[in-house]
Amino acid sequence: MTDEQPTEDEEIRTDGTGLVAPDDETPTWLERKERKTGLSRLTYEYFERARREDQDLRMESDYVERDVLGFPTWPHETVRNLSIAAFFVGIIFFLSATMPPHIGEPANPSSTPAIILPDWYLYWSFGLLKLNPLNPELAILGGSKLMADRTYGVLANVVVVGFIAIVPFLNKGSARRPVEQPFWAAVGAGGVVLALTLSLLAVKNLMPMNVDLLFDLTFLLPIVIGIITYAVLKTMREGYMYDLNRRYYRLRPPR
Amino acid sequence: MADEFIKGLGIFTGAGLAWMVLASWYQTESFGSTNQLIAAPPEPANLFDALAIGMIDVLLWFALLGALTFWVLIPAGREARTAYRNRRSN
Repeated sequence: MTDEQPTEDEEIRTDGTGLVAPDDETPTWLERKERKTGLSRLTYEYFERARREDQDLRMESDYVERDVLGFPTWPHETVRNLSIAAFFVGIIFFLSATMPPHIGEPANPSSTPAIILPDWYLYWSFGLLKLNPLNPELAILGGSKLMADRTYGVLANVVVVGFIAIVPFLNKGSARRPVEQPFWAAVGAGGVVLALTLSLLAVKNLMPMNVDLLFDLTFLLPIVIGIITYAVLKTMREGYMYDLNRRYYRLRPPR
Repeated sequence: MADEFIKGLGIFTGAGLAWMVLASWYQTESFGSTNQLIAAPPEPANLFDALAIGMIDVLLWFALLGALTFWVLIPAGREARTAYRNRRSN
């Protein structure tokens, strides 16, 4: 790494040497536009800063790597994608040829089946309708419940969907990998596990285990998985791989 | 290390797929039941059935033990040998 101190009027050179804005002096988009130097200069500065940081970190690192930054679309990417697609299409053909599923009788619309279930990807929502033991019996109401169990289940859906709907409006930060934000990664892992356990709760009459234990595990397992995720990611932050990978995080857009 | 991984993955997926097909032929009453792939196999009617039914358990254990060997046992053995060598040289 060179520690040249460029003067004020030094022109930014195009060969990758010279002035590159440090991290904490990166101009905002507004400042960049006010320079009136055009989109090309702006694009150049951004990529040049990223490239320079990448180069510096490569110089610091003793990690041996190849000088391959990417592959051309044709033929490399195209052939790769075609072979992957052919593999999965072949698997579908193979399975449908060897294990043809039995097509059952058409549904009888005049009788309700004993077990009603939505499509599998909505099991979590169906599981939220089975939270009866969590609906509190309030002493102030003489031991009666504030709302019916079915209303409680629907409101639980509103809470979950509302929480997910908020996410796009939150500041997502600049983290690119879970290891950068262990807490939020743990929240995400817990949420995924909660969706899975709620799905299992939805089919509790098919689960070969105690229903009460299943209900407890539905809410305890996500917490346990979240704690494990947090611990693992916290540990990974300390490792050398984190320092090594930090150069990828530097390739982020300006503020 | 990557070589061991793809060997284990190849055995796991290949033998697992063959096991799934044979078990769905002989050990599945219907795809609507809760007893798929593990029901008791029928009495073999001919030589091919007998061979296939015999292969079901072979393939299942090959998938499990093959993956275990290449993903756990061989890497662990190498780690242990390296640790032992380092301890001897220090």
